[in-house]
Amino acid sequence: MNAAAWLKRATKSALSFGEAPRIESPLQRFWSDFSESRLALIGLMLLTMIILIAIFAPLISPQNPYDLSQLDIMDSKLAPGEKSGAGHTHLLGTDDQGRDMLSAIFYGLRISLGVGIASTVFALAIGLFFGMIAAYFSGWVDTLIMRVVDIQLSFPAILIALILLAVLGQGADKIIVALITVQWAYYARTVRASALVEKQKEYIEAAKVLALSKTRILFCHMLPNCLPPLIVVATVQVAHAIALESTLSFLGLGLPITEPSLGLLISNGFTYLMSGKYWISFYPGLALLLTIMSINLVADQLRDVLNPRLKK
Amino acid sequence: MIYVHRIFTALLATVPMSLTYAVTSGAAAQTSTQAATKSAHARDISIGLQAAITSMDPHYHNVGPNNSTLRHIFQPLVAPDENQKLTPALATSWRAIDDTTWEFKLRKNVRWHDGSAFTADDVAFTLKRVPNVPNSPSSFATFTKPIIDVKIIDLHTIIFKTAFPHPLLPSDLTAVAIISKAVGEKATTDDYNSGKAAIGTGPYKFVEYVANQRVVVKANYDYWGGEEPWDKVTFKMLTSPAARVAALLSGNVEMIETVPTADISQLEKNTKFALSNKVSNRVIYAHLNQHQDKAPVFLTDKAGKALEKNPLKDLRVRKALSMAINRDAIVSRVMEGRAVAASQLLADNFFGTSRKLKPAKFDPEGAKKLLAEAGYPNGFAMTIHGPNNRYINDAAIAQTIAQFYSRIGIEVKVDTMPSSVYFTRASKLEFSYMVLGWGTESGEQGSALRSLLATYDTAKGMGVTNRGRYSNPAFDKALGEALVTMDDKKRESMIQRAAEMAMEDVGLIPLHYEVSTWATTKALKYIPRTDQYTLAMNLKLAK
Repeated sequence: MNAAAWLKRATKSALSFGEAPRIESPLQRFWSDFSESRLALIGLMLLTMIILIAIFAPLISPQNPYDLSQLDIMDSKLAPGEKSGAGHTHLLGTDDQGRDMLSAIFYGLRISLGVGIASTVFALAIGLFFGMIAAYFSGWVDTLIMRVVDIQLSFPAILIALILLAVLGQGADKIIVALITVQWAYYARTVRASALVEKQKEYIEAAKVLALSKTRILFCHMLPNCLPPLIVVATVQVAHAIALESTLSFLGLGLPITEPSLGLLISNGFTYLMSGKYWISFYPGLALLLTIMSINLVADQLRDVLNPRLKK
Repeated sequence: MIYVHRIFTALLATVPMSLTYAVTSGAAAQTSTQAATKSAHARDISIGLQAAITSMDPHYHNVGPNNSTLRHIFQPLVAPDENQKLTPALATSWRAIDDTTWEFKLRKNVRWHDGSAFTADDVAFTLKRVPNVPNSPSSFATFTKPIIDVKIIDLHTIIFKTAFPHPLLPSDLTAVAIISKAVGEKATTDDYNSGKAAIGTGPYKFVEYVANQRVVVKANYDYWGGEEPWDKVTFKMLTSPAARVAALLSGNVEMIETVPTADISQLEKNTKFALSNKVSNRVIYAHLNQHQDKAPVFLTDKAGKALEKNPLKDLRVRKALSMAINRDAIVSRVMEGRAVAASQLLADNFFGTSRKLKPAKFDPEGAKKLLAEAGYPNGFAMTIHGPNNRYINDAAIAQTIAQFYSRIGIEVKVDTMPSSVYFTRASKLEFSYMVLGWGTESGEQGSALRSLLATYDTAKGMGVTNRGRYSNPAFDKALGEALVTMDDKKRESMIQRAAEMAMEDVGLIPLHYEVSTWATTKALKYIPRTDQYTLAMNLKLAK
């Protein structure tokens, strides 16, 4: 926290001097810390909007872009604002199959966020489990798990994902599996580091003296204290996962071509960039950019708020 | 939003050039030095090819791009012109003495690039080598197989005996490049790739071959056909369509083949470049799996349960599948007008095509009715398989077909994959509905019917690429008789009749004929070819 913010807080409490002292709940405190950055607030608003769009995509999209019978090849490559043969206006134009770009982007966000969040949650759980075990038991368990993590981290993520998808085949579930495989090692490493620190602390010793079970110590005492850094890593990783999913789709792996995600939409439009039909690539690209940017803004502020070193 | 659109459209007028620089920045230095030396070598030319040339051995790999490029160095006895009409090359004339005996008169005063004279010995040696090239991924033996005996009469007369009446022999021999006996006897495929054995009779001599990069040839000033307008020709393998266009725009090459359809309208407006195009001998079509009586794996009812009968064996279903496709929409929208709706396996004007056949009329209501009659009032579920890097816009075509089928109540999935994977799996008969293409090198519909629709029988060389395993004995008989009829007029009408039988039975679903497009700088003119070959011999200075 910077000096100005501290000053603000100090004056605020000085002004309220005399009133009954207000006690902030941890959540309230978290929020007031978080909302200090206007950029982060904008990011959060944007992200909320994107998430709402993703959730309600089937309700707000003018067209189901994945239902082939709703597409008409005669409406293909319409420019933004042009009317289709049936009289619908396509605000962002259509792609080379006559798919409404706006609907395709809404549905694409659904896939991107869905895949990103699902893979992160699972990878987090797996990473957490192995990281804690490695830190708590140390010895050969630690060595074994951490060497596996080392090997995993020494390969570029995109390479592993490419190979996995080539073997697994098409489908959103396969992409999630590939992304989990790629990501869990990051969490394992982060958790182990903070768990090693926590392990030294007195409350763990106290718990041991009380002869609590290992699982109870691990999951009820150590785990909550290891979470803050993980939350930060996880938010950043969601953005990574989304970018990785788009990269894979751009390369034509993962999802079937009749159900394009943002990456595949960009890739389809790539052919038409030189011929002036920019919108097939541009708007999905913009949507992807805004999504990843808003997540990163939120993640940045989360890191500042949750970092104990930056706390006064 | 519309405002944004206007700004973009204005901006984009300037974008292609800057993009071009980004794409070819690596070649930028090279381009500028080329520009500096260009005035000194106005007769040097670079051409961007769409596919990699896999070898300089003319008998190693029977594939269009190789055959096209090697035509500069090596020549066949009989060469097809730009319309695939046969013209004399190393043979000056040929005739059938009887049904199974052919006499070829060879050209006199032809010299190999190493200075030695070309004789009938070289032809006999070539025919012996063709079936015996080690590790050949796709052999030329198909073309020489019918010849069972070779007799050398004198230095410039040779006689071939065929096992059966084979009217297509001269046309088959257009694919067989003649090599020098003296050089070829000791040479391996590697010797051709290194250039040691790349000694031909053609208008250009071998200079350099770098796999996946380029082929360089220089003029053969002693060429029997007279001098060519170019001193040196560099063929660059630019397999990415965007990179190919960028290379042309930046002046890195003077000509490219297979202009991506998305870029054609932009290039047409650009006054610095000229386009030429021609309906090719390639048809894009769909093979329907009729191998088993049980439905194939990728064809089920809508709940995903296996069907008892194979719907594709029912003519009504095949007809419905053909009628449901709006070919004109594919041509105008997906192919941007660079295709012609197909009714058979070769475009009109080719030998053996029937004028009676017309592209199936787009009639989704009629298709629905036919499906209901066949016992599928609610349709079925099917996966369409196709390549995504072989034919012009192949993946988009598969998707568009899926669109049309979903309107007649068929639940469609689309799976496209790189051609290397696709063709292997297609040949194993894994798929139900396959989007494919076929270029007829002989320019005669009989050979396309033989490869794609005759009942599968590799021993007889019938239906070797019949991945749908369509089988119709009456058609087989009609075609078999046509293929051994020596009289051209009679044979043509027999092939036409066979084609009508197969097409009316919807043995496969023809979609469209590809139109090939070349782009050159304004100073040049390319005479377009139906066989999609890109030959420096067809490239002239524009007047």
